[in-house]
Amino acid sequence: MKIALSRRTTLKQRQARRRINWRAQITAFLFLLPALLALTTFTWYPMVKAVGYSFQKVKLAGGSTWVGLDNYRRMLGNPLFYTAWSNVLEFTILSIVLGFVIPIIVALMINELRRMGGIFGLIAYLPTLIPVTIALLVWRQLYAPEGGFINSLLAQVGIPAQLWLQNPLLVKPAMIVIMTWAGIGGTILIYLAALKEIPQELYEAAQLDGFSVWQRIQYIVLPLLASRIAMLLILQIIFVSQVFAEPQLLTQGGPANHTITPVLEIYRTAFDRGDYGLASAWSVSLLLVLAVFSITYVRLSFRKDEASS
Amino acid sequence: MSLSSSVMSKVESRSRRGRVIRGIITVGLILLSIVMLFPFVFTFTAGLKTSAEIYKPGLNILPATAHWENYQQVWTRLNMLRMFINSFMVTLGGVFFQLLFSSLAAFSLSRLKPVGHTIIMTLLLVTLAIPGIAYIIPLYTTLVRLPVLNISLLNSYWGLWLPYSANAFNILILKNFFDQIPRDIYDAAAVDGASPLRTFFTITLPLSRSILLILGVLSFIALWKDYLLPLLVLRDADLQPVTVRLFTLVRDFPRNLQMAAAFIAMLPPLLAAVSLQRFIKGGLTMGGTKG
Repeated sequence: MKIALSRRTTLKQRQARRRINWRAQITAFLFLLPALLALTTFTWYPMVKAVGYSFQKVKLAGGSTWVGLDNYRRMLGNPLFYTAWSNVLEFTILSIVLGFVIPIIVALMINELRRMGGIFGLIAYLPTLIPVTIALLVWRQLYAPEGGFINSLLAQVGIPAQLWLQNPLLVKPAMIVIMTWAGIGGTILIYLAALKEIPQELYEAAQLDGFSVWQRIQYIVLPLLASRIAMLLILQIIFVSQVFAEPQLLTQGGPANHTITPVLEIYRTAFDRGDYGLASAWSVSLLLVLAVFSITYVRLSFRKDEASS
Repeated sequence: MSLSSSVMSKVESRSRRGRVIRGIITVGLILLSIVMLFPFVFTFTAGLKTSAEIYKPGLNILPATAHWENYQQVWTRLNMLRMFINSFMVTLGGVFFQLLFSSLAAFSLSRLKPVGHTIIMTLLLVTLAIPGIAYIIPLYTTLVRLPVLNISLLNSYWGLWLPYSANAFNILILKNFFDQIPRDIYDAAAVDGASPLRTFFTITLPLSRSILLILGVLSFIALWKDYLLPLLVLRDADLQPVTVRLFTLVRDFPRNLQMAAAFIAMLPPLLAAVSLQRFIKGGLTMGGTKG
């Protein structure tokens, strides 16, 4: 069936190729024009330009000069490059340890409550809606060394006040807690939707075969969620690798560069120091790292999409 | 969307053991909700405190006396109305152009089949795979001096609306949706001699209301939250949306007023979420994560 269908389309395409109706083509492209124009100007052209910039000494007023690999040499010669990347690696690992499993468990819990569970999904989603700058104002106050709520809470169980955002050991977990709070709601809703698609009959059949609740989760739910789990893991890596607003607004990359990240360094190099060429070399390095993950993600998601429609 | 299904069967969840499990789950979820909601409650009550009270250690979440005038004060002193209007300008314009350009393009790709539409689709997929941050610098220099026209879009809402309007994700989702509209409906329109533009406005768009609403709500949330691009494009403080303006502006204000301002800034997205939750849920399960 599927083969027959695709054959028919290729035949149609071949016919279309043979005689092009120019008037219809002009109409088709007029419909495409606004989007193509916008994409070309604000996405595709800048993408190409980004690579070009990384080999140039960029002057905004015009008269940029080619400098070969100079920007890359300067980037790789800067110890900050390795600091930023190892910070991002730590951020990513921490975010997976602290925040990756929680949404799966929460979604399973909400799903067991059937209709009543909906309200919990909404509550978990609310932080996702808050712009990061506003959320950071609040978290800065929660983490405040004096009179901050978290230190006050710890004082109740006898733990001394901590400098959450000034202590190199604590600052990354502290930021990951913020990002987890802000991010898990969406993930929970995605898992919930996936759980709803698992037919009840599967569980009932397993139950008849004597599968316990845990075994049903282990042998039915987790395998069926596996591809979704993989996709959301990739998405989380892509997302956390671009961490920017938290270090920029809370710590300015400190203490002692412990929260400097590639995106923060790109921002500073370009917009504080005006070194667009060097910043573009950083961008290209970021792109190379992220591309591996994002290409996998797009392939996974749109393959699934075709299979289901 | 299919009916809900849960791991425990109805009989099991009504048994004694099932009820205990459900009880534990409910308690667990309530605890989680308290953690998730706490920052909101904290912001609200901290905004009612005096500037001395907020530095006092201890778990006193409620203020000794509620200083409602804090809220009134930040509203007028920070001119928050201006920030909100700016946020709405940025967001509504962005959503409008994004939906308009995307649905026109998707209609063409789905119905009019321009030469090379498979190449365009592939290009769109590649675009999706490249994170925006990778080309933020050339995007900025492009906005500083637009090619051919040689004008600057800095300090203009067009500098946000136009980049926002180029959205590969929306085009692909809408194209998939348009593909599923039955052929017969279009054939009937063709018999009536309707032009593509008329077909688009009188058939495709009305039939796609639900998906357009979902995409609109999702774009609204995303654009309302956007920080980096507005920060770069809108240097003039009077034009800046809440996300960009508030954090720098409150720097010189005492912490209690900062919290009051933060709480006011949280309200519009919260109200939108509660009233539009249906569409948010529909949207999140769509596209890349649809299965």
